[in-house]
Amino acid sequence: MSLTTASMDFPAHAVAQAAPKMDPLHHFQVVKDVSMSLFGIDISTSNSVYAMWISAGLVMLFFHFAFKDPKTIPGRLQSLGEIGYLFVRGMVDDIIGEKGRPFFPYIFTLFFFILFCNLSGLIPGSFTVTSQLIVTATFSLAIVGFSFAYGFYLHGKRYLKFFVPSGVPLLLTPLMIPIEIISFLARPVSLAVRLFANMTAGHTMLAVMFLYVISLPWWGAWLPFGFTVIFTGVEIFIGFIQAYIFTILTCVYINDSIHMH
Amino acid sequence: MVTDAFAATGEHAAAAGGHAAAGSGMPQFEPSVFQHEIFWSIASFVILLYLLRKYVLPPIEKVLDARNEKIRSDLDAAETSRREAEKISAEIQKQLNSARRQAEQTIEEARLEAAKYRELARESLGQELAKKKTLALAEIDTAKASAIAELHHAAVDIAMLATEKLIAKNMTKTETNKMVQEAITAIQESKIPVH
Repeated sequence: MSLTTASMDFPAHAVAQAAPKMDPLHHFQVVKDVSMSLFGIDISTSNSVYAMWISAGLVMLFFHFAFKDPKTIPGRLQSLGEIGYLFVRGMVDDIIGEKGRPFFPYIFTLFFFILFCNLSGLIPGSFTVTSQLIVTATFSLAIVGFSFAYGFYLHGKRYLKFFVPSGVPLLLTPLMIPIEIISFLARPVSLAVRLFANMTAGHTMLAVMFLYVISLPWWGAWLPFGFTVIFTGVEIFIGFIQAYIFTILTCVYINDSIHMH
Repeated sequence: MVTDAFAATGEHAAAAGGHAAAGSGMPQFEPSVFQHEIFWSIASFVILLYLLRKYVLPPIEKVLDARNEKIRSDLDAAETSRREAEKISAEIQKQLNSARRQAEQTIEEARLEAAKYRELARESLGQELAKKKTLALAEIDTAKASAIAELHHAAVDIAMLATEKLIAKNMTKTETNKMVQEAITAIQESKIPVH
């Protein structure tokens, strides 16, 4: 990442002024809009919050139009909506099974919220909610915390056996239990960081390439520009994949708390 | 240059959040925005969950269930139709078989009947012929007898005529009768074959 502007004959003060704009991380900046608080909790709105609302609204719009006039023989949009529904349904049924049914609405919402956040973030000028570690961490901690609590609720003290792998020699248990605990604690971290890092990395890469486009002369700009075009396609794919991984791991964690292992 | 940019980011974040950034240069690690991000993440999720549950999931489930129901009923109907068709086909096969059997039987009967009629015809023809032969023979016998009788009369007449003419001068009637009688007897005894 070398933003050499020296070759572009800009005066020094112009470069300094441009510096924040030439920052590829600039578009991850959360900017508060309306400051509010409720019982001491900061509930200000910001560009990030608006992006969440827009993403959620897009989910609603998509399904509204897909199922505006549901038919037995579906049209294209309805088929797409049904594919999305059945995709999440299949995931829940395959991984958790019959006992996963009550969680289906939550997992469905999670998948489509994250998916639309990922995808709407690709629109130039918009904001990528899932590139905020605090957002992904909120979801991952909620999921892992819930699965832990639900495991206790279902199995009581027996749930602690979850941290003692079966079939391990007694001598090794003092070693295995800490490893299991650490791996359990790593769950929310890996879940949150994976999504955040993927989004941040992809968008940073795009931003860097766009900065190359605007800093290079026209005969050189087409190369990074072409790359951004291709990479936007890749980012759409990554948006899907990451939403899928986030959701499927959620299913796995809930399944662990229901069936242990 | 790079460090400058990062420093600028830090300032930016500081300006936005009102706190000093962690120094990493990444705006995501600016703690001042965490609280409202957490709140709105959860709030947005819960609201979206509520809306999806209320307005989106039921129609999807309804249409999918309706389709499943339709497919099931269509399959059932198809199965019923198939079974019906099989039944009808078996029935037709049965009828066809019986018709064929009946036709064969009819042909066999006709053949037997024909044979019987032929036999009868042959028999009656034989009888007819035999009857005709008998009749013809009888006719022939009658004709022979009448011929003999006629011949007899003719012979008698001729003989009488001849005898009359021959004997008219020197023979009496009595003698003549006697001689004719003798002549007839002789003819009868000799049994001249006429046929």
